[in-house]
Amino acid sequence: MKPHQLGRGALGLLGSIVLWQLIAGTHLAGAALPSPLATFAALGADVSGGAFWSAVGQTVGVALLGLIASALAGIVLGVLVGSFPAARYSTLALLEFLKPVPPIVILPLVVLILGPTAKMAWLLTFFGCLIPIITQTMAGVHDTDPVARDTARSYGLGRVEILWRVVLPSAMPFIGTALRVAAPVALIVAVVAGLLGGGPGLGKNLYVAQSAGDYASLYAYVLVLGILGLLFIGLSRLGERRLLHWHPSYREEMV
Amino acid sequence: MSHEAATTAKRPAALPRLDVKSLAKSYGTGSKAKVIIEDLTFTVETGEVVCIVGPSGVGKTTLLKCLAGLQTATSGSAAIDGRVIDGPPREMALVFQDYNRSLMPWLTVRKNLLLPLRHLKLPAAELRERCDSALEAVGLTHAEHQYPWQLSGGMQQRVAIARALAYRPEILVMDEPFASVDAQTRFDLEDLCLKIRDDFNMTILVVTHDIDEAVYLSDRVVVLGSKPARVLKTIDLDLPRPRDQITTRSLPGFAQQRTEVLSLIKRPA
Amino acid sequence: MRKTLYLVLGIGTPVILILAWFAVSAGSTDTFFPPLSYILERFQALWLFAHFQSDILVSLLNLVIGFALASVIGVGLGFVLAMLPKVGEYLDPVIHFFRSIPPVALVPIFVALIGFGVEMRVTSIAMAAVFPTLIATVDGLRGVDSTLKDVSAVYRLSTREKVLGVYLPAAGPHIASGMQVSLQTAFVVMIASEMLGPAQGIGAMTLLAQQSFMIADMWSGILLLGVIGFAANMIFELGRRRLLAWYIGSRQLAKAS
Repeated sequence: MKPHQLGRGALGLLGSIVLWQLIAGTHLAGAALPSPLATFAALGADVSGGAFWSAVGQTVGVALLGLIASALAGIVLGVLVGSFPAARYSTLALLEFLKPVPPIVILPLVVLILGPTAKMAWLLTFFGCLIPIITQTMAGVHDTDPVARDTARSYGLGRVEILWRVVLPSAMPFIGTALRVAAPVALIVAVVAGLLGGGPGLGKNLYVAQSAGDYASLYAYVLVLGILGLLFIGLSRLGERRLLHWHPSYREEMV
Repeated sequence: MSHEAATTAKRPAALPRLDVKSLAKSYGTGSKAKVIIEDLTFTVETGEVVCIVGPSGVGKTTLLKCLAGLQTATSGSAAIDGRVIDGPPREMALVFQDYNRSLMPWLTVRKNLLLPLRHLKLPAAELRERCDSALEAVGLTHAEHQYPWQLSGGMQQRVAIARALAYRPEILVMDEPFASVDAQTRFDLEDLCLKIRDDFNMTILVVTHDIDEAVYLSDRVVVLGSKPARVLKTIDLDLPRPRDQITTRSLPGFAQQRTEVLSLIKRPA
Repeated sequence: MRKTLYLVLGIGTPVILILAWFAVSAGSTDTFFPPLSYILERFQALWLFAHFQSDILVSLLNLVIGFALASVIGVGLGFVLAMLPKVGEYLDPVIHFFRSIPPVALVPIFVALIGFGVEMRVTSIAMAAVFPTLIATVDGLRGVDSTLKDVSAVYRLSTREKVLGVYLPAAGPHIASGMQVSLQTAFVVMIASEMLGPAQGIGAMTLLAQQSFMIADMWSGILLLGVIGFAANMIFELGRRRLLAWYIGSRQLAKAS
């Protein structure tokens, strides 16, 4: 990014805060639209307290744990199911049905069984990220160059070795993309679990602030979530680029 | 190095169809300025085929963009019938080098042809007639309902030419039009180009880096030197018409003029 | 031979799974997992058609209106930002910040601003779903091939022809992917906006059933939401394939060669 673009972007941010201040100043929305000053003050008060950081820790922890667990399970399942055509066709309909169904749909059930706990939030996040990672991994396995596979076989590589040295590397870009997409989703689901399921973390704080009418805190939490979202998106992109910059298909995708 | 201008003395009375006068183009200003084209002068008359040849990266595409009104010259001018070009002129159609990027992939061949015609507000019968005759001229009547990406490279470039024909330009400008097609297709397209000139009395300007192609097609060749682009020499060719891929290319004159152009380009600038 | 086997597996496995659920859950006294037969019974009692108009229709209308608003605003604003690159530079960071906020987090703000009514739900859905489409539209338009722009200029297309005839279809594949994400976001926010407050809509009904321990009713709500999520995506996908047949065809051809 060029310096003048950075400058303009910063000016745009500043401008929107000023606009926010002006709209809040009209008191059209009353207390429901606190001024940026009040919001930043609430944010400042939050940041200096331990409860805030533990909420951030809980939300981020749930998101990361859910992401890691779903990545491990998703890759293993995806490779297994993707390696056997019979398994792939058997699960096709189920996976295609589940793919567009967001985890919020099963939230009532998970909350019913586990209650408003971190475990509930974690499980919901796990389910939310699992299906896309499985299907992407399967697509990657399916996309393996048959010539490379045959070559490996003709050199006498075993099944496991082929899986490890040929299939998995060629599925890497698919898995990388799946993880990049899943990372922000994990954060979203962690917030959903708190906001609607009562699981600990920033989501629950949002709910509490809204029902208590503490709107400055509500806005402050949303700002914090925006920053966390930026971090999740940015870091997952960076991670994908770091991990896959060597891969031809990744470079192709960038062009 | 002498900058030999086109011999306007031969045609004193009428204005040239296309008149490029001391055209220059540079990017940036001051010490950072990068001069792409330095002082180009040549003319093209009605019904002529003129080729511009020069080493790749010489700035030929920039020149065409200035002629087509897509970019403005830094100094000097290009004019059609004495009218300075300051935007895409109605009389001109441009055929781009990248046929696969210049056709709309979401439109069928016929609809690609129709796209530039819509705002001309022609009666339906004339629209149909223009498309039909353009497709027939390039031999693609059978492919009119296919999408460009379903066709081979040579066929796609023929669609691009047909689109230009249906637009009924008076001047057809082509940017390395046959660079990315196979040899046989290239010969066919070269002959198509000459046929268009004969059938429609079209004025044609072709940019190419292929010297054989330039000599085969042209009535005149403008040889460009590089960095920045400038006219090394303008050579009038007198190979007999109609030209033929086999007989014309085996004429002693062909070899001689090919050598002349080649030696100009090869010579260290 | 092999193909038939796969076809049988593809159709057979889901059928067997459902039958297995039916069989295993039959006579179940487990609080959390009532018999499937009972869930289906409740499904029919609740949704066909007692609560169809009062809840299903309301939810679906909110979803459709919110998504339509998000699409129109996203594509429209995206066009403005892409065509005015300077304005785009000023607003890029703001837009990316809003995009990064988990969409459901916006719902409490709209509850605070507008209350629990239908307006809040539609606004929440539209505001949360606008960003994927907006960003995809800007990216798609910025990525339009310069040759196509040159072609449009050389053939002196009118602004209207350029916008509708060249830029919009050229950015179409990008916009469609963005809209697909928007649709999913809209669906999530639809449920969230119902669960957070009002006693209306499928999400509200489902959560209410859970809270009042009517487990089979809750299950029937989950089933219904699952079917709607799947169906919405499928309808979108069918439309996309029809509109972007040229793109899908050209990609397949490029991949095959």
